[in-house]
Amino acid sequence: MILVFVLLAAGWLLTSPGSGTDSLPSHTPDPENGEAVFWAGGCASCHATPVAEGRPQGNDKLLLGGGLELETVYGVFRVPNISPHPDAGIGAWSDVDFVNAMQHGISPAGFSYYPSFPYTSYARMTVQDVLDLKAYLDALPAVASPSVQHALGFPWSVRRGVGLWQRLYLDTAPIIGVAEDNAALQRGRALVEGVGHCGECHTPRNALGAMNSDRWLAGASNPDGPGRIPNITPGAADIADWSESDLAYYFESGFTPDWDTVGGSMVAVQENLARLSDADRRAIAAYLKAVPAISEQE
Amino acid sequence: MRATLRVVTLGCVLSIAGFATADDHSPIKQRQDLMQDTRKAASPVGKMLRGDVEFDADVFLESMNVFLTVGTQYGDLFPDDSRFGEGTEAAPAIWSDREGFNKKIDQWVTAARAAVDAAPTTLDDARPLAGQVLRSCKGCHDGYRIDD
Repeated sequence: MILVFVLLAAGWLLTSPGSGTDSLPSHTPDPENGEAVFWAGGCASCHATPVAEGRPQGNDKLLLGGGLELETVYGVFRVPNISPHPDAGIGAWSDVDFVNAMQHGISPAGFSYYPSFPYTSYARMTVQDVLDLKAYLDALPAVASPSVQHALGFPWSVRRGVGLWQRLYLDTAPIIGVAEDNAALQRGRALVEGVGHCGECHTPRNALGAMNSDRWLAGASNPDGPGRIPNITPGAADIADWSESDLAYYFESGFTPDWDTVGGSMVAVQENLARLSDADRRAIAAYLKAVPAISEQE
Repeated sequence: MRATLRVVTLGCVLSIAGFATADDHSPIKQRQDLMQDTRKAASPVGKMLRGDVEFDADVFLESMNVFLTVGTQYGDLFPDDSRFGEGTEAAPAIWSDREGFNKKIDQWVTAARAAVDAAPTTLDDARPLAGQVLRSCKGCHDGYRIDD
């Protein structure tokens, strides 16, 4: 009886959400950098409210009322409203609330977010970038459409299990070691491993849905549809001979070196990358050339 | 008997040859070949835009003429019976939204014609013209091509 009680207590503790942070470094937010972070993170690709004509374009990308449905093996994730609306969105959140959501996966009410919200990547951002992003989001239009609950199958529907998942997989350490004195590689790593959250689609996941860092960026099944997301390591047959300049131009223009155009879910990502600085696109390219080469069949 | 066999054999050979010829000129094959022509034409333009090679007004104009010529033919190569087969990546939207598809083709032709008519002599003049043409490629692929 005591053993059962101890096990239950241990289970309760292990699955409890983390405590997050309650203090932040002093920082004067820079909304201009926040806008750059916004496009690097591709926030609009998921959070912009879908429109009848397909993907939101132009200023519709700034209406972050949510509503997109991601159909996955775990069930349907419904993307929430992150516009600054005080009730429907996140307008009433404090800076601490926002950092806890983005980097610790904890809501202001204290529950754990499902990692369909890629906070495991955002955990690698600087707090300053996160606060700059909030300053930018705060100035966008408020959208009144309420967020809708996810519809997940059992056992994924038991949200408390996410607390244990976070204990296992929420990690701020870099995934790939790069030279400390190489500013471009450092920047590229910050963009790819952090805010750009490239690994969330391009890295395969284990049975519990965590990224398998041994096959970092080596391609994975499409998380919300048929087909595969490609291997983007130097071991990928398709892009092994792309130069850094080829990669950077692809991010800027959407054209491959043999003049095919970007396709599938990468279209929206490329449109975001086109808004980054040329230096940032080149930094991403340099990092992608520096990650371990993994072949398709390994 | 032998003569009959010869006739039948000849008939079979001609039929196969006939099919092969028809296949080579099927709308799907034609549009795939034309698309390859545009990719080849885009390559030198892209190298100029990226600064990999020096701007060459003649090569640029030649490429834009390819885009214009192909663009004027391309919209007619999607008859109802060419929806499937031969590795086509044509999306069903071409047939369900022909008006939208035709609009994309018009944008392609308009952009290519503007570039040909302008016949730019400097990279700075060529860049926006080429940009319009290349954007028209993406604009059409986004909605009317099947991505794997």
